[in-house]
Amino acid sequence: MKRKVVAGMMAALMAAGLLAGCGNTEKPASTSAADKSTSAAATSESSKSESSKSESTASGDAVTLKIFSNLPDRKNGQGLVEQTIIDDYEKENPNVKIEVEALDEEAYKTKFKAYAMDGMPDVVSIWGQPSFLDEVLDAGVLAELDQDAYKDYGFVSGSLDGFMKDGKLYGLPRNTDVAGFYYNEKMFKDNGWSVPETYEDLLALAPKINDAGFVPVAMDGGDGWPMAIYLTDLLERVDGTISEKVNKAVADGDFTDPSFVKATELLKASADAGLFQTGYDSQDYGTAMNLFTNGQAAMFYMGSWEASMALNEDIPAEVRDNIRVFSMPATKDGKGKQTDIAAWNGGGYAVSANSKVKDEAIKFLNYMYQPDKLSKYGWENGVGMSAQDQSAYMTGNETELQKQFLDIVKNSTSTTGTTINDRGPSAFKTSIESEIQNVTNGTTSVDDFLATIGTACK
Amino acid sequence: MEKKIKTKKQWTVGRVLLWVVLICVAVIQIFPLIWLVDFSLASSNEMFTKGLLVIPQKIQWGNYVKAFIDGHFLLYLKNSLLINGLAVLLVILISLMAAFACKRMIWKMSGLVKTLLLLGMMIPIHATLLPNYKIYNMLGLTDTIWALLIPYIAFSLPQALFLMTGFLDAIPVELEEAAVMDGSGIYRIVFRMILPLMKSSVATVAIMTFLNNWNEFMMASTYLSSPTWKTLPFSVLEFTGQYSSNYAVQFAVMALTAAPAVLVYILLNKHITKGVAMGAVKG
Repeated sequence: MKRKVVAGMMAALMAAGLLAGCGNTEKPASTSAADKSTSAAATSESSKSESSKSESTASGDAVTLKIFSNLPDRKNGQGLVEQTIIDDYEKENPNVKIEVEALDEEAYKTKFKAYAMDGMPDVVSIWGQPSFLDEVLDAGVLAELDQDAYKDYGFVSGSLDGFMKDGKLYGLPRNTDVAGFYYNEKMFKDNGWSVPETYEDLLALAPKINDAGFVPVAMDGGDGWPMAIYLTDLLERVDGTISEKVNKAVADGDFTDPSFVKATELLKASADAGLFQTGYDSQDYGTAMNLFTNGQAAMFYMGSWEASMALNEDIPAEVRDNIRVFSMPATKDGKGKQTDIAAWNGGGYAVSANSKVKDEAIKFLNYMYQPDKLSKYGWENGVGMSAQDQSAYMTGNETELQKQFLDIVKNSTSTTGTTINDRGPSAFKTSIESEIQNVTNGTTSVDDFLATIGTACK
Repeated sequence: MEKKIKTKKQWTVGRVLLWVVLICVAVIQIFPLIWLVDFSLASSNEMFTKGLLVIPQKIQWGNYVKAFIDGHFLLYLKNSLLINGLAVLLVILISLMAAFACKRMIWKMSGLVKTLLLLGMMIPIHATLLPNYKIYNMLGLTDTIWALLIPYIAFSLPQALFLMTGFLDAIPVELEEAAVMDGSGIYRIVFRMILPLMKSSVATVAIMTFLNNWNEFMMASTYLSSPTWKTLPFSVLEFTGQYSSNYAVQFAVMALTAAPAVLVYILLNKHITKGVAMGAVKG
């Protein structure tokens, strides 16, 4: 008994000592700073909720808008466009202070989950695709937007579809993305190759280009999604219209339809014909792109956001000035034409449902989508096409490449919409993007591949 | 004469072989650092050439300038040093005292408490990410220094305790008995006697805690949102584009980030091997 008491006392003493020791050593170094920050955070937390509410009602008072973005690089490309608009807005509305938190896509999605539990920032980046949006909308963290208010914003028809659920609009698209084969026109001319008319021509080109010592198509196979786009493109060529078929397959978890088999076989045929560089299935975006920009590859399969290559001073002029593009050619006995293009509206913005300054957030969102903001700045920076009508911003100085993309979109007979990998739940996306390399390099068979991605839907 | 034979003996075949092997190992070990510095001085496009190392056409000091200015390097460095420094100090203090309490003091639960603390080694960091976020949010700790300090200390503690207890066994109890006879209290024993004797173990714990937390990004990106307390790994992020990144500047940032870690390792290196080996045998 006595022992127990002594032991208990010692434990208590040790615990007290621990705490005391902890406090003592740490104090000189950190308390001043740390205390300040905790107390500041605590007060700001409590005061923000009260003050911001009153602030937003009384216009003209200081408002802080929190923006959560997936564009960490604020000095280039889309991130620069976003930052420019934010700076403009702050200038025009001196009472508004905008705080940006930016993370890259993977970290962004993790943190988005954390925010979904508690304290979502006011304006957030989203993806108008079931793989991302379904779970988010189920959690009810995004505010519904008034559809009628956006009638005059010139959104390309169908571009809002991915951001709607049950007839309600939850976000607005940022870009229209189109996939295509960038090719080096000079290299094609010098070697007497011609732009392929059909998919079979494309495959026939592979050995010729390989013999000349070049890589036919630089492919970012390491990431999974570019090949999923490639597969979507082929699916459209085989079937003509894929939207319903894919949605049904995802819902049933059944990809045994002959169109899927045929398209996957065609994708595999590309790899078998040696169309992609050696090691394509593990090489990443930068590696693949540099094969092309260094003049080692004749073509590069990628989205329209890379049209800025034609303006990039880092790329040797010999390559830079000769980049042209064509969309995936039609297959011999497919139902789709070359003008049925792989195009979709991926990223966009939304407003948080629980935002304390919702009105101000929506005001800012609308500001971004004013025609002379996202569309114009994006076009001038060559980051791709916006989801809005931007014909007003043609300068006449567009690069040949930009004009070609515009033509591809203008002449398109149909578009695929959201690519196949983003049409299912997130488990399906993970599955297809990690399995697709295996089916192209022959590790798994076409049937096994389709069965695996089917299982992931359930 | 004897001396001459001795020097001759030093260069036998075996010895030469040993040196060759050691030099090879050293080159392999140091190569990543050379590669890092080499690429940080090239331009983004030169990186994808076929060779192992690139010879930059023009040395791009601009990468480092960009890293410093656009990457907010100095602010993040300050935060990293502060947070990691505090974490190391606290981990050493707590693990030393806990080790002493669990090993040398006689109380009923000492074994259990030690096991419980060591169990922490088995908890994967990622599993705690979102629950911790929720808790911090409730306590108003997100976006403060505590949001990083607490998990950094908590996750480093089990390993530190493990090393400390192992090492403590090697110190004879008789020393403490002598100290008690001379009228020394518990704290005097721990900080005046045990601490100096455990120098190498303390160095090992310091190095491990520091290196583990120096590059940590997952927790930092989840628990922090404003730049006030962001740590160095965020600097790399400032140059990550939506699709492709500015690799050259990222290399420069990484070279700058690696430098303090390498420095700490070099400074404490003398002790670490000793510390790990001794702790390991006496677990």
